[in-house]
Amino acid sequence: MATRRLIYPIYQIGNPQLRIFRPSWFLTLVRPGKELPPDIVQFRVPMVMTKCDVKNYLEKIYNVPVGAVRTRIQFGSNKKRNHLNQKVKQPDYKVAYVQLAQGQTFTMPDIFPEKDSKPAEGSVEEMQQKFMEDEKQRQKPDPRRGGVTEWFGL
Amino acid sequence: MATRTRLPLQSLVSKNLPAFRNQRCLVHTEAMAKEPVYPPVIPSLTAKSKSARLRQIQEQVSKIRAAPVQDKLSLITRIQRKKFVVHPQTFARNADRWYQHFTKTAYIPGLPDKFTVVPEKSEEESSSAVAAPNALPWIEDEAFQDIRSLVIQAILQEHWHMKKRRAFLYREQEHNVGPFLRNLVSGLTHSLGKYNPLLLLSSIDLDPQVNFYWRRGQTTVIKGHRKGRLEPIRFQIDDHPHSQIRITQQLPLFTSVEASYAAEVPEIKFSPSVMPLFRRQYDNNIFTGAKLPDPACYGHTQFHLVPDRCHRDKMARRQQSDQIEAFLRANALASLFTWTGAQAMYQGFWNHEDITRPFVSQAVITDGHFFSFFCYQLNTVALSVETDVDNPRKNLLWGTESMRLYESVQDGEVVGLKDNVIQLLVQFLMNRP
Repeated sequence: MATRRLIYPIYQIGNPQLRIFRPSWFLTLVRPGKELPPDIVQFRVPMVMTKCDVKNYLEKIYNVPVGAVRTRIQFGSNKKRNHLNQKVKQPDYKVAYVQLAQGQTFTMPDIFPEKDSKPAEGSVEEMQQKFMEDEKQRQKPDPRRGGVTEWFGL
Repeated sequence: MATRTRLPLQSLVSKNLPAFRNQRCLVHTEAMAKEPVYPPVIPSLTAKSKSARLRQIQEQVSKIRAAPVQDKLSLITRIQRKKFVVHPQTFARNADRWYQHFTKTAYIPGLPDKFTVVPEKSEEESSSAVAAPNALPWIEDEAFQDIRSLVIQAILQEHWHMKKRRAFLYREQEHNVGPFLRNLVSGLTHSLGKYNPLLLLSSIDLDPQVNFYWRRGQTTVIKGHRKGRLEPIRFQIDDHPHSQIRITQQLPLFTSVEASYAAEVPEIKFSPSVMPLFRRQYDNNIFTGAKLPDPACYGHTQFHLVPDRCHRDKMARRQQSDQIEAFLRANALASLFTWTGAQAMYQGFWNHEDITRPFVSQAVITDGHFFSFFCYQLNTVALSVETDVDNPRKNLLWGTESMRLYESVQDGEVVGLKDNVIQLLVQFLMNRP
């Protein structure tokens, strides 16, 4: 259940500061699609959050010094159709570009590194891999023919 | 019967062949001396090819070169295309680095040697510009005391004698500091007129318009019928300084053009839209503050007012105090580049005809209490891709940190008036060739 009112009471002079404890908003840090300067971090944020909300969220909960926040709403496509020819909507989401203050930078780490691990010696995987490599080698055409097919000839 | 004497071959060969040889050689040299029968082989002008496009550009460039200054300006700014609108007073973070890249400017902290920042203790003036007719020693000179009292009067008039209501939202600077700066500028200029004859022939503009249009860098077009092609990035600055002083002669340069070769300009490989900077298409303007036939076509000093949005207190409330200096530098850079670039264009220098003598201007940016002084030397106007390939020249910006002029006004007295700021103001205005 949301821990905040869906419609905020209008602020009048003299009202106490609006405070939200334990918000049910969750930010997702994403790798940007195109190259961005090192002090800009890209987040996917819930649609209902504003720039001030994002700034306060990061500063108060995560102690991240935030310089500026810029947001945009990404339209999720409604073009694809399913097997019943109905349009399938992909959800819209809000993207926030957060510029860090105090000269801090952030580089997105490589979450999916290339793995060329060799299987352990004498194990089943190693024998399987060797067998597959031999099969592939057998399937290859004779290199002495120089790329000419083997359909004809002696 | 007449015997036909067989002439020996040798005699024939030796006698006649040299003549034949000469004749043939003569024929060849005559052919060389005559006009070629066919016209020179140059690319077509109207074909749909890259060489035809290059030839069209060449024709345009030579047409602009041959035109008088008024037509040059109109030919360069004729075609409207999408361009980045650069605002000198911007909210963007680290705008000074971006602007340095756009204008190929190197920043040098401190002022050039001509101006000495005199500390509180008494020290002799060493500025050559102020030397004649009377050197201004720091204490007890009549002229300096007059100027000091002028400054005090200007401050008191706005903040003590005149009762002002609270300004409307975000109009505090324009309401409180604007008139003070106007009085200061006009008062100082007119009183220093007897020491600097240049100021007598100068023209003070109040709230002028200064515009400049240039191209720098290249991008690929992302969308549209021209997708995939290279396109120059166009910029336009429309600046409204608080006031400026224009003079009839050019100010002397601070350092030689060769000294700028070693300066470093930050290189940013991201598109300007990341900054954030936005593109629009409208009239391309190049304007110094007065139209072309005006005799006061060279710039002396500009005065800028820090807007309410970027005021010190508001930045401190948003925990962005480190951006104050960056904002001031970006403002000075953009404004002075615009002004000097427009001055250079008015003299007929443009992208393909680079400037022969550097253009120099000064600026003072203030928010009422804090003053920052900047000097700019424009060494090159050739910033587009074709002309920037082997152009080692860079533009230079000198600047100070912000210095406090006075603490406050209490009981009809200005408390904590600093004289070094007034010294610098006077030195700036006394600068002359």
